[in-house]
Amino acid sequence: MAHPSQLGFQDAASPLMEELLHFHDHALMIVFLISAFVLYIIVAMITSKLTDKLILDSQEIEVIWTVLPAMGSSQIAILSLRILYLMDEINDPHLTIKAMGHQWYWSYEYTDYQDLGFDSYMVPTQDLTPGQFRLLEADHRMVIPVESPIRVLISAEDVLHSWAVPSLGVKVDAIPGRLNQTTFIVNRPGILYGQCSEICGANHSFMPIVIEAVPLPHFENWTSLMMAEYT
Amino acid sequence: MAGEEQENNNTKGFRLLGILDVQNTPCARDAILHGAGGSLAAGLLHFLATSRVKRSFDVGFAGFMLTTLGSWFYCRMNNAKLRVQQRIIQTGIKNKIVYEGTVLDPTNKPGAETPSGPS
Repeated sequence: MAHPSQLGFQDAASPLMEELLHFHDHALMIVFLISAFVLYIIVAMITSKLTDKLILDSQEIEVIWTVLPAMGSSQIAILSLRILYLMDEINDPHLTIKAMGHQWYWSYEYTDYQDLGFDSYMVPTQDLTPGQFRLLEADHRMVIPVESPIRVLISAEDVLHSWAVPSLGVKVDAIPGRLNQTTFIVNRPGILYGQCSEICGANHSFMPIVIEAVPLPHFENWTSLMMAEYT
Repeated sequence: MAGEEQENNNTKGFRLLGILDVQNTPCARDAILHGAGGSLAAGLLHFLATSRVKRSFDVGFAGFMLTTLGSWFYCRMNNAKLRVQQRIIQTGIKNKIVYEGTVLDPTNKPGAETPSGPS
Protein backbone atom coordinates (compact mmCIF):
# COMPACT_ATOMS: atom_id res chain seq x y z
CA MET A 1 0.00 0.00 0.00
CA ALA A 2 0.97 3.64 -0.26
CA HIS A 3 2.63 5.37 2.70
CA PRO A 4 1.67 8.90 3.79
CA SER A 5 2.74 11.74 1.44
CA GLN A 6 3.97 9.22 -1.13
CA LEU A 7 4.47 10.75 -4.59
CA GLY A 8 5.89 7.84 -6.58
CA PHE A 9 4.56 4.41 -7.48
CA GLN A 10 4.18 1.59 -4.99
CA ASP A 11 6.71 -1.25 -5.09
CA ALA A 12 5.99 -3.64 -7.94
CA ALA A 13 4.39 -6.99 -7.12
CA SER A 14 4.21 -8.29 -10.70
CA PRO A 15 6.67 -8.44 -13.62
CA LEU A 16 4.47 -6.10 -15.63
CA MET A 17 4.57 -3.42 -12.95
CA GLU A 18 8.34 -3.79 -12.80
CA GLU A 19 8.49 -3.07 -16.52
CA LEU A 20 6.16 -0.11 -16.09
CA LEU A 21 8.39 1.31 -13.34
CA HIS A 22 11.45 0.78 -15.54
CA PHE A 23 9.83 2.67 -18.40
CA HIS A 24 8.55 5.40 -16.09
CA ASP A 25 12.05 6.00 -14.69
CA HIS A 26 13.42 6.32 -18.21
CA ALA A 27 10.70 8.74 -19.34
CA LEU A 28 11.15 10.77 -16.16
CA MET A 29 14.90 11.14 -16.73
CA ILE A 30 14.19 12.51 -20.22
CA VAL A 31 11.59 14.89 -18.76
CA PHE A 32 14.12 16.02 -16.14
CA LEU A 33 16.78 16.74 -18.77
CA ILE A 34 14.34 18.70 -20.91
CA SER A 35 13.21 20.70 -17.86
CA ALA A 36 16.82 21.44 -16.89
CA PHE A 37 17.52 22.56 -20.46
CA VAL A 38 14.50 24.88 -20.52
CA LEU A 39 15.48 26.34 -17.16
CA TYR A 40 18.99 26.99 -18.41
CA ILE A 41 17.71 28.68 -21.57
CA ILE A 42 15.40 30.93 -19.51
CA VAL A 43 18.26 32.00 -17.25
CA ALA A 44 20.58 32.52 -20.20
CA MET A 45 18.04 34.68 -22.05
CA ILE A 46 17.21 36.78 -18.99
CA THR A 47 20.87 37.43 -18.19
CA SER A 48 21.86 38.19 -21.78
CA LYS A 49 22.54 41.80 -22.76
CA LEU A 50 22.30 41.01 -26.49
CA THR A 51 19.26 42.23 -28.46
CA ASP A 52 18.37 42.02 -32.15
CA LYS A 53 15.08 43.41 -33.42
CA LEU A 54 15.65 42.14 -36.97
CA ILE A 55 15.83 38.36 -36.55
CA LEU A 56 13.28 36.89 -38.93
CA ASP A 57 14.21 33.23 -39.21
CA SER A 58 17.05 30.79 -38.83
CA GLN A 59 16.98 27.52 -40.71
CA GLU A 60 19.68 25.84 -38.64
CA ILE A 61 18.01 26.18 -35.27
CA GLU A 62 14.63 25.32 -36.77
CA VAL A 63 16.09 22.02 -37.97
CA ILE A 64 17.71 21.36 -34.58
CA TRP A 65 14.61 22.02 -32.54
CA THR A 66 12.53 19.84 -34.86
CA VAL A 67 14.87 16.87 -35.20
CA LEU A 68 15.95 16.55 -31.56
CA PRO A 69 12.41 16.47 -30.06
CA ALA A 70 11.36 14.02 -32.80
CA MET A 71 14.24 11.72 -31.88
CA GLY A 72 13.41 11.91 -28.18
CA SER A 73 9.70 11.38 -28.73
CA SER A 74 10.20 8.42 -31.05
CA GLN A 75 12.52 6.78 -28.56
CA ILE A 76 9.93 7.10 -25.79
CA ALA A 77 7.18 5.92 -28.16
CA ILE A 78 9.04 2.76 -29.19
CA LEU A 79 9.66 1.76 -25.57
CA SER A 80 6.09 2.50 -24.59
CA LEU A 81 4.67 0.45 -27.49
CA ARG A 82 6.71 -2.52 -26.35
CA ILE A 83 5.20 -2.47 -22.89
CA LEU A 84 1.75 -1.64 -24.26
CA TYR A 85 1.66 -4.89 -26.23
CA LEU A 86 3.27 -6.78 -23.37
CA MET A 87 0.29 -5.77 -21.20
CA ASP A 88 -2.12 -7.47 -23.63
CA GLU A 89 -0.39 -10.84 -23.64
CA ILE A 90 -2.35 -13.71 -22.13
CA ASN A 91 -0.06 -16.44 -20.88
CA ASP A 92 -2.12 -19.56 -20.12
CA PRO A 93 -3.72 -18.68 -16.77
CA HIS A 94 -3.84 -21.35 -14.08
CA LEU A 95 -6.83 -19.82 -12.29
CA THR A 96 -9.80 -17.70 -13.31
CA ILE A 97 -11.60 -15.44 -10.87
CA LYS A 98 -14.61 -13.25 -11.54
CA ALA A 99 -14.70 -9.89 -9.79
CA MET A 100 -18.12 -8.26 -9.82
CA GLY A 101 -18.63 -4.68 -8.75
CA HIS A 102 -21.70 -3.75 -6.75
CA GLN A 103 -22.81 -0.67 -4.89
CA TRP A 104 -20.70 -0.69 -2.74
CA TYR A 105 -18.68 -3.88 -2.45
CA TRP A 106 -16.88 -6.39 -4.61
CA SER A 107 -17.82 -10.03 -4.98
CA TYR A 108 -15.42 -12.73 -6.11
CA GLU A 109 -16.32 -16.04 -7.75
CA TYR A 110 -13.86 -18.90 -8.02
CA THR A 111 -15.76 -21.02 -10.54
CA ASP A 112 -12.80 -23.40 -10.84
CA TYR A 113 -13.63 -24.49 -7.30
CA GLN A 114 -17.26 -25.66 -7.34
CA ASP A 115 -18.79 -22.18 -7.62
CA LEU A 116 -17.03 -20.77 -4.59
CA GLY A 117 -18.11 -17.17 -4.19
CA PHE A 118 -18.13 -14.51 -1.49
CA ASP A 119 -18.61 -10.78 -0.97
CA SER A 120 -15.89 -8.39 0.11
CA TYR A 121 -17.05 -5.41 2.14
CA MET A 122 -14.84 -2.68 3.55
CA VAL A 123 -14.10 -2.97 7.27
CA PRO A 124 -15.64 0.16 8.85
CA THR A 125 -13.22 2.49 10.61
CA GLN A 126 -14.73 1.84 14.03
CA ASP A 127 -14.22 -1.93 13.61
CA LEU A 128 -10.54 -1.79 12.65
CA THR A 129 -8.07 -3.62 14.86
CA PRO A 130 -4.64 -2.04 15.63
CA GLY A 131 -2.36 -2.37 12.61
CA GLN A 132 -5.14 -2.38 10.03
CA PHE A 133 -5.42 0.35 7.42
CA ARG A 134 -8.31 2.81 7.30
CA LEU A 135 -10.53 2.57 4.17
CA LEU A 136 -8.35 -0.22 2.75
CA GLU A 137 -9.19 -3.37 4.71
CA ALA A 138 -11.93 -5.76 3.61
CA ASP A 139 -13.66 -8.51 5.53
CA HIS A 140 -12.87 -11.15 2.87
CA ARG A 141 -9.74 -10.97 0.80
CA MET A 142 -9.27 -12.32 -2.70
CA VAL A 143 -6.67 -15.03 -2.11
CA ILE A 144 -4.46 -16.13 -4.99
CA PRO A 145 -1.37 -18.32 -5.33
CA VAL A 146 2.00 -16.64 -6.01
CA GLU A 147 3.99 -17.24 -9.18
CA SER A 148 0.87 -18.43 -11.05
CA PRO A 149 -0.75 -16.58 -13.95
CA ILE A 150 -4.18 -15.45 -12.79
CA ARG A 151 -7.02 -14.35 -15.06
CA VAL A 152 -9.55 -11.97 -13.54
CA LEU A 153 -12.83 -11.35 -15.35
CA ILE A 154 -14.32 -8.08 -14.26
CA SER A 155 -17.86 -6.84 -14.58
CA ALA A 156 -20.48 -4.97 -12.62
CA GLU A 157 -24.02 -5.59 -11.48
CA ASP A 158 -25.33 -2.05 -11.36
CA VAL A 159 -23.22 0.99 -12.27
CA LEU A 160 -19.69 1.54 -13.54
CA HIS A 161 -16.88 0.54 -11.18
CA SER A 162 -13.18 -0.05 -11.75
CA TRP A 163 -11.02 -2.81 -10.30
CA ALA A 164 -7.60 -1.36 -9.59
CA VAL A 165 -4.53 -2.64 -7.76
CA PRO A 166 -1.63 -0.18 -8.18
CA SER A 167 1.17 -2.53 -7.12
CA LEU A 168 0.18 -4.98 -9.85
CA GLY A 169 -0.24 -2.27 -12.49
CA VAL A 170 -3.86 -3.31 -13.00
CA LYS A 171 -6.84 -1.07 -13.54
CA VAL A 172 -9.82 -2.47 -15.42
CA ASP A 173 -13.26 -0.95 -15.76
CA ALA A 174 -16.21 -2.93 -14.46
CA ILE A 175 -19.04 -2.26 -16.90
CA PRO A 176 -22.52 -3.72 -16.49
CA GLY A 177 -23.26 -6.15 -19.31
CA ARG A 178 -19.61 -6.41 -20.38
CA LEU A 179 -16.86 -8.80 -19.31
CA ASN A 180 -13.36 -7.33 -19.21
CA GLN A 181 -10.32 -9.54 -18.77
CA THR A 182 -6.91 -9.00 -17.24
CA THR A 183 -4.10 -11.39 -16.39
CA PHE A 184 -1.21 -10.97 -14.01
CA ILE A 185 1.36 -12.90 -12.01
CA VAL A 186 2.17 -11.98 -8.41
CA ASN A 187 5.90 -12.31 -7.76
CA ARG A 188 5.91 -12.41 -4.00
CA PRO A 189 3.60 -13.35 -1.11
CA GLY A 190 1.91 -10.44 0.58
CA ILE A 191 -1.20 -8.34 0.84
CA LEU A 192 -1.94 -5.93 -2.00
CA TYR A 193 -4.44 -3.11 -1.70
CA GLY A 194 -6.50 -1.23 -4.24
CA GLN A 195 -9.61 0.90 -4.40
CA CYS A 196 -12.54 1.34 -6.74
CA SER A 197 -11.45 3.74 -9.47
CA GLU A 198 -14.66 4.78 -11.17
CA ILE A 199 -17.18 7.05 -9.48
CA CYS A 200 -20.12 4.87 -8.51
CA GLY A 201 -22.15 6.70 -5.91
CA ALA A 202 -22.03 7.79 -2.31
CA ASN A 203 -19.69 5.06 -1.08
CA HIS A 204 -17.35 4.96 -4.06
CA SER A 205 -14.37 5.61 -1.75
CA PHE A 206 -15.38 2.79 0.57
CA MET A 207 -15.14 -0.35 -1.53
CA PRO A 208 -11.53 -1.48 -1.44
CA ILE A 209 -9.88 -4.42 -3.14
CA VAL A 210 -7.60 -6.60 -1.04
CA ILE A 211 -5.55 -9.38 -2.61
CA GLU A 212 -3.71 -11.88 -0.46
CA ALA A 213 -0.99 -13.71 -2.36
CA VAL A 214 0.04 -16.95 -0.65
CA PRO A 215 2.08 -20.03 -1.55
CA LEU A 216 0.14 -22.71 -3.40
CA PRO A 217 -0.33 -25.16 -0.46
CA HIS A 218 -1.80 -22.33 1.63
CA PHE A 219 -4.09 -21.40 -1.26
CA GLU A 220 -5.34 -24.99 -1.53
CA ASN A 221 -6.02 -25.06 2.22
CA TRP A 222 -7.90 -21.78 1.96
CA THR A 223 -10.08 -22.99 -0.92
CA SER A 224 -10.95 -26.15 1.04
CA LEU A 225 -12.00 -24.08 4.05
CA MET A 226 -13.97 -21.63 1.96
CA MET A 227 -15.76 -24.35 0.00
CA ALA A 228 -16.81 -25.94 3.25
CA GLU A 229 -18.16 -22.58 4.43
CA TYR A 230 -19.67 -21.02 1.32
CA THR A 231 -20.74 -23.79 -1.09
CA MET B 1 10.66 0.78 15.03
CA ALA B 2 12.12 -0.83 11.88
CA GLY B 3 8.88 -0.03 10.07
CA GLU B 4 9.13 3.63 11.09
CA GLU B 5 12.74 3.80 9.93
CA GLN B 6 11.78 2.27 6.61
CA GLU B 7 8.93 4.74 6.29
CA ASN B 8 11.32 7.63 7.00
CA ASN B 9 13.73 6.34 4.36
CA ASN B 10 10.92 6.06 1.83
CA THR B 11 9.69 9.62 2.42
CA LYS B 12 13.19 11.13 2.40
CA GLY B 13 13.85 10.55 -1.35
CA PHE B 14 15.52 13.67 -2.81
CA ARG B 15 13.84 14.92 -6.00
CA LEU B 16 15.89 17.01 -8.41
CA LEU B 17 13.77 19.90 -9.72
CA GLY B 18 10.91 18.18 -7.87
CA ILE B 19 10.82 15.58 -10.65
CA LEU B 20 13.54 12.96 -10.42
CA ASP B 21 13.86 10.88 -7.25
CA VAL B 22 17.62 10.44 -7.34
CA GLN B 23 17.85 8.12 -4.35
CA ASN B 24 15.22 5.54 -5.25
CA THR B 25 15.57 5.43 -9.05
CA PRO B 26 18.21 2.90 -10.20
CA CYS B 27 21.09 4.53 -12.14
CA ALA B 28 19.78 8.08 -11.55
CA ARG B 29 22.34 9.03 -8.91
CA ASP B 30 25.27 7.72 -10.95
CA ALA B 31 24.02 9.44 -14.11
CA ILE B 32 23.61 12.82 -12.39
CA LEU B 33 27.01 12.57 -10.72
CA HIS B 34 28.70 11.62 -13.99
CA GLY B 35 26.84 14.49 -15.64
CA ALA B 36 28.04 16.93 -13.03
CA GLY B 37 31.62 15.76 -13.49
CA GLY B 38 31.35 15.92 -17.27
CA SER B 39 29.82 19.38 -17.08
CA LEU B 40 32.62 20.66 -14.86
CA ALA B 41 35.32 19.17 -17.06
CA ALA B 42 33.84 20.43 -20.34
CA GLY B 43 33.15 23.93 -19.04
CA LEU B 44 36.54 24.29 -17.41
CA LEU B 45 38.45 23.02 -20.42
CA HIS B 46 36.56 25.35 -22.75
CA PHE B 47 37.22 28.32 -20.47
CA LEU B 48 40.89 27.49 -20.21
CA ALA B 49 41.09 27.34 -24.00
CA THR B 50 39.00 30.39 -24.87
CA SER B 51 38.57 32.53 -21.71
CA ARG B 52 34.92 33.06 -22.71
CA VAL B 53 32.78 32.75 -19.60
CA LYS B 54 29.27 32.64 -21.00
CA ARG B 55 30.13 30.29 -23.82
CA SER B 56 31.95 28.03 -21.32
CA PHE B 57 28.78 27.82 -19.26
CA ASP B 58 26.88 26.80 -22.39
CA VAL B 59 29.48 24.16 -23.21
CA GLY B 60 29.40 22.98 -19.62
CA PHE B 61 25.65 22.54 -19.72
CA ALA B 62 25.85 20.69 -23.03
CA GLY B 63 28.46 18.44 -21.42
CA PHE B 64 26.09 17.81 -18.52
CA MET B 65 23.26 16.77 -20.85
CA LEU B 66 25.40 14.48 -22.97
CA THR B 67 27.26 12.86 -20.08
CA THR B 68 24.07 12.31 -18.09
CA LEU B 69 22.29 10.78 -21.07
CA GLY B 70 25.23 8.58 -21.99
CA SER B 71 25.76 7.33 -18.44
CA TRP B 72 22.02 6.78 -18.01
CA PHE B 73 21.62 4.70 -21.17
CA TYR B 74 24.70 2.61 -20.42
CA CYS B 75 23.64 1.90 -16.84
CA ARG B 76 20.00 1.16 -17.76
CA MET B 77 20.99 -1.27 -20.53
CA ASN B 78 23.23 -3.17 -18.11
CA ASN B 79 20.48 -3.06 -15.51
CA ALA B 80 17.96 -4.47 -18.00
CA LYS B 81 20.35 -7.30 -18.99
CA LEU B 82 20.86 -8.14 -15.30
CA ARG B 83 17.11 -8.23 -14.72
CA VAL B 84 16.63 -10.61 -17.64
CA GLN B 85 19.35 -12.90 -16.26
CA GLN B 86 17.78 -12.68 -12.80
CA ARG B 87 14.41 -13.77 -14.19
CA ILE B 88 15.97 -16.66 -16.10
CA ILE B 89 17.72 -17.82 -12.94
CA GLN B 90 14.54 -17.48 -10.87
CA THR B 91 12.54 -19.47 -13.42
CA GLY B 92 15.29 -22.09 -13.54
CA ILE B 93 15.32 -22.48 -9.75
CA LYS B 94 11.52 -22.69 -9.66
CA ASN B 95 11.42 -25.28 -12.46
CA LYS B 96 14.13 -27.31 -10.80
CA ILE B 97 12.13 -27.47 -7.58
CA VAL B 98 8.89 -28.26 -9.39
CA TYR B 99 10.23 -30.88 -11.80
CA GLU B 100 12.89 -32.54 -9.60
CA GLY B 101 12.43 -36.30 -9.52
CA THR B 102 9.84 -36.33 -12.32
CA VAL B 103 10.13 -37.38 -15.96
CA LEU B 104 10.37 -33.71 -16.93
CA ASP B 105 13.55 -33.17 -14.88
CA PRO B 106 16.21 -32.20 -17.44
CA THR B 107 18.99 -33.48 -15.17
CA ASN B 108 17.36 -36.92 -14.94
CA LYS B 109 19.66 -39.43 -16.63
CA PRO B 110 18.14 -42.71 -17.78
CA GLY B 111 19.15 -45.55 -15.40
CA ALA B 112 21.47 -48.37 -16.62
CA GLU B 113 19.58 -51.26 -18.24
CA THR B 114 19.30 -54.29 -16.05
CA PRO B 115 20.96 -57.37 -17.67
CA SER B 116 18.46 -59.93 -18.90
CA GLY B 117 18.62 -63.50 -17.57
CA PRO B 118 19.74 -66.52 -19.62
CA SER B 119 17.21 -67.39 -22.33
